[in-house]
Amino acid sequence: MSAAEPLFRAEGLSKRYGGVIALDRADLEVHPGRIHAILGENGAGKSTLIKLMVGVVAPDEGRMMLGGREVTFSNPSAANDAGVVCIFQELSLIPDLSVADNIMISRPPTRLGLIDRQAQRRIAEEALERAGAGDIHPRALVKDLPLSRRQMVEIAKALSRRPKILILDEATSALTASDVTKVFEVLKRLRSEGLALLYISHRMHEIAELADDCSVFRNGRRISTFAAGTKTDAEVIELMIGREYKHAFPDKPVREPDGRPPALQCRKLGWGDRLRDISFSLHAREIIGLGGLDGQGQRELLLALFGVLSDISGDIFIDGDKVVIDSPVAAKSDRIGLALIPEDRKTEGLMLPMSVRDNLSAAAFDRFAQFGIIDRQQQSALIDDMIRLIEIKTASPDLPVSALSGGNQQKVVIAKWLMNKPRIILLNDPTRGIDVGTKQEIYRLLRRLADEGAAILLYSTDYDELIGCCDRVLVMYDGAIRRELAGAEITERALVSSALNVDDGEPAEASAQ
Amino acid sequence: MSEATASQPAQRGVAMLRRIDPAVAASFGCILLLLLVGSLYSRSFLSPDYLLQQLKVASFLGVIATGMMLVILLGQIDLSVPWVVTAGAMMACAAAAHGTTGAILAIPCGILCGAAIGLLNGIGVAYLRIPSMIITLATNAVAQGLMVAYTGGFAPQDSASKAMRYLATGNVVPGLSNAVLVWAIIGGAAIWLLSRTTFGRAIYAIGNRERAAYLSGIDTRRVTMLAFALSGALSAFGGVLLAGYASKAAQSMGDAYLLPSIAAVVLGGTHILGGRGSYLGTIAGVILITLLQSILSVMQISEAGRQLIYGAVIILMLLIYGRQKA
Repeated sequence: MSAAEPLFRAEGLSKRYGGVIALDRADLEVHPGRIHAILGENGAGKSTLIKLMVGVVAPDEGRMMLGGREVTFSNPSAANDAGVVCIFQELSLIPDLSVADNIMISRPPTRLGLIDRQAQRRIAEEALERAGAGDIHPRALVKDLPLSRRQMVEIAKALSRRPKILILDEATSALTASDVTKVFEVLKRLRSEGLALLYISHRMHEIAELADDCSVFRNGRRISTFAAGTKTDAEVIELMIGREYKHAFPDKPVREPDGRPPALQCRKLGWGDRLRDISFSLHAREIIGLGGLDGQGQRELLLALFGVLSDISGDIFIDGDKVVIDSPVAAKSDRIGLALIPEDRKTEGLMLPMSVRDNLSAAAFDRFAQFGIIDRQQQSALIDDMIRLIEIKTASPDLPVSALSGGNQQKVVIAKWLMNKPRIILLNDPTRGIDVGTKQEIYRLLRRLADEGAAILLYSTDYDELIGCCDRVLVMYDGAIRRELAGAEITERALVSSALNVDDGEPAEASAQ
Repeated sequence: MSEATASQPAQRGVAMLRRIDPAVAASFGCILLLLLVGSLYSRSFLSPDYLLQQLKVASFLGVIATGMMLVILLGQIDLSVPWVVTAGAMMACAAAAHGTTGAILAIPCGILCGAAIGLLNGIGVAYLRIPSMIITLATNAVAQGLMVAYTGGFAPQDSASKAMRYLATGNVVPGLSNAVLVWAIIGGAAIWLLSRTTFGRAIYAIGNRERAAYLSGIDTRRVTMLAFALSGALSAFGGVLLAGYASKAAQSMGDAYLLPSIAAVVLGGTHILGGRGSYLGTIAGVILITLLQSILSVMQISEAGRQLIYGAVIILMLLIYGRQKA
C-alpha cells in the first residue's frame, strides 16, 4: 500500500434496511492509479458500499472523504459531478438510441436550448477512443451492437463524465473471455492515466490478473486489505468464510434407496446461454440444495422446471415418465405436482392488499371448488388447518397479508402452495430477509415435508442453510452445474470454492491453460 | 384457540366494517346530497314516481357498468362500449324483423354479437398482448364501420321485438320497471360471481398482481379473455334493453354510455388500476351518475353547460377517490 494520501476514504459507513444490517461501520481507502478489487460473499455488503459511494442511497452513519474533503451525495448525478462514476452490472443503455445519445444521455451539450449534434458526436468519439472502442460509430444504434461492444459504450459513457474514481460492479459478468481481455487492456491504460478503479468481480482469476490491492468484505465490514498476489486463493476464501453464528438445523435422516424412479429428473436441460446441460435427479424424501453465487442460473432453472420459460431444450421426467411442462397451470396439475415458492414474495408470491384467505386460496382453488364454485365451508376448514399447521400469526384470515410481518408473509407464500398438496417443492431463497426464528421454523418444516414424502429443491444464498438443510448440493456456475456435493462433502469451503469456480484454491482456468 | 373462538363475533363485526369501503359510503352520501339539492329545485324530485323513473334509467347504465367493472378489476379498460351497445341493439332489432323465429332469437342474437366482439378484445389483450386501450378502441371502430355499412348510415327501420320491449318497459311487479329487475338479477349474479367463484377471485388476484397470480398457476389469459367477453355481452345486453325502451335502435345510441360506465365503476370505489372494488360501490356509482345527469336537466341548464358541469364533477370526484391509498 502506498503511504500517499488516498483519493477516497470511507470511515465507519453503516447502512441498515429494516432489521438487516447491510453495512456495519465499514471503511475503505482508494488510491489513484491503482485497481482495487473488492471481494466478498453474497450479502457481504459490497453492493451497498457502491450504492453509498455513488449516491444511490445515503448512509445511516459514517462519512466519505474525496480528495481530503468530506462529501455527501444526495443523488447519483451529484456523485458523478464529484468524479465518482459507476458501471453497474446490468447494462443501463437505451437500445433504441444511438451510441452518441446514450453516452451523453444525462447532460447533452446544448446550443440555444437544443442538442448540439456536432458537439455531441465529437465528445462521443473522444470518449469511445479513450475507452479503446474508436471503431464504434457514434450514430450506430445500441441495439445493433453485440453485447461486448455495448459494454465498451458503457465504459465510454462513464469516461465522458470525467471520473476520478471508476467503479466496475460485475461489469464483465456478461462478457466472453476474449471481450474481457479487451476490457482489461482499457482498464490497465486508464490506471496508467491515474484513475482510481474499484473492481468488483466474483471471478478470482480476473482479480489475480488485474488488481493491485484487494479488500475482503464479510458481514458488512471490511475484514482485510492486502496487496494482490500476497495471498493464495485458499487464503482469500478463508477470509471470505466465517460467520458469527450457526443455525440449529434438524437432523438429516439417512435415506435408503427405494428403487423407485426419481420424483423429478432433468436430462440436458438448457435455455439459451443462461442454462447449459443441466442433468440431475431428485428423489422423494430428499432435499437438494442449489448453491453458487447469485445469478448463475439457479433462478432460471427453477422457472424452467415450473413451466415459466419458453423454448427449453432437454427432457424432464416425473416419476420416470417424460413430461412437458409449458405453464404453471400444467406444473401444478396433479400428474406433475410441482410447487414454486418464488424469489420475491412481494411481487411474485403474494397479492399484498388481498386477505390471507385469498392468498392462501390462489394456488389451490381445485381443492375446495367444484365447477368453479367455491365451497366456503371447505375453504375455511382447509385455511384454518393450514394457518394452524404452519403457525401463521394473524388475527384473522380476512386481514390483508400486507399487515403481517415479513416472516409470516413468507409462511403464507409457502402455505399457499402446501394447500395444493405438491409432491415436488421448488424454493427460491425462501429465508431471505426474514428473522432467525422463522428461519428455523422453515428449516424444520422443510425436513418434515421431506420425511412425509416430498421432494425438495432449495436454492439458497446462505451457505449455512445449504450445509444444514440439504442432503445434496448442486453448485451452479455460469448456467451449468459445476459440482455436486453430498453428505460430509458439503462444507463451506467446498461450497465457496466451487461457487467461485476454483478447485479448493486452484484456479480452474489456470489449470486449463 | 379458545381465544380465537371467543373473539370471533367481534372479528366478524370488524370485518364487516372493513368491508364497507369509504368510497362506497361517500358515494351513497353524495346520492343523498344530490337528492337534497334536487328537492330544492323541484318538489317532485323526491316523489316515488320520479325516483322509480330514475332507477329505471339507471338500470341500463347499471347493466353496462357491470361488464366494465369486471374489466377494470383486471386492471384493463373496455373502450368498445359505445358501438358494442349499438351493435347489440341493431342486431337484436335486425333479428326481430325475421318473423317469429327472429323475434325469439332477437335477444340472444344481440347479446352474442356483443360477446363475440368482447371475445375478440379478450384474445387481443390476453393472448396477443395488445394494450386493452388500443384493441378495444380499434374493435369499437370496426363495430362502428360494420353497423354503418349495415344501415347505410341511416336510422335502421327494424323495430324491437315484443320481448325486448317487455324486458325494458313492462311491469312484472306493479310500479317497478322490468329493467330494474333485470339489473337486480344481473347485479346479484355479479356479486355471486365475484365472491363465490374461482373466476371472480382470479379476477381480483390478477388485478392485484398479475405475475403472482400467474405463478400461482391461475390461467390468467383465459380469465382475462372471458372477462372481456362478458363485458361485451353485458354492453350488448344494455343495448338490447335500450332498443326495447325506445322501440328501435339508433346510430351512436351507445356514445352516451362510455364515460358514465367508467365513471360509475370508479366513483363506486373500484380502483382504476384493478384489484379492488365491490359491486355495491358500482350500484352507488351508477345511481349517482344517473341522478347527476337528471338534476342537471331539471335545473334547466343549457346542453353546453350540462356537459361542462357533468365532466367537471366526474374529474373532481375521480381526483378525490383516485388519490386514496394508491
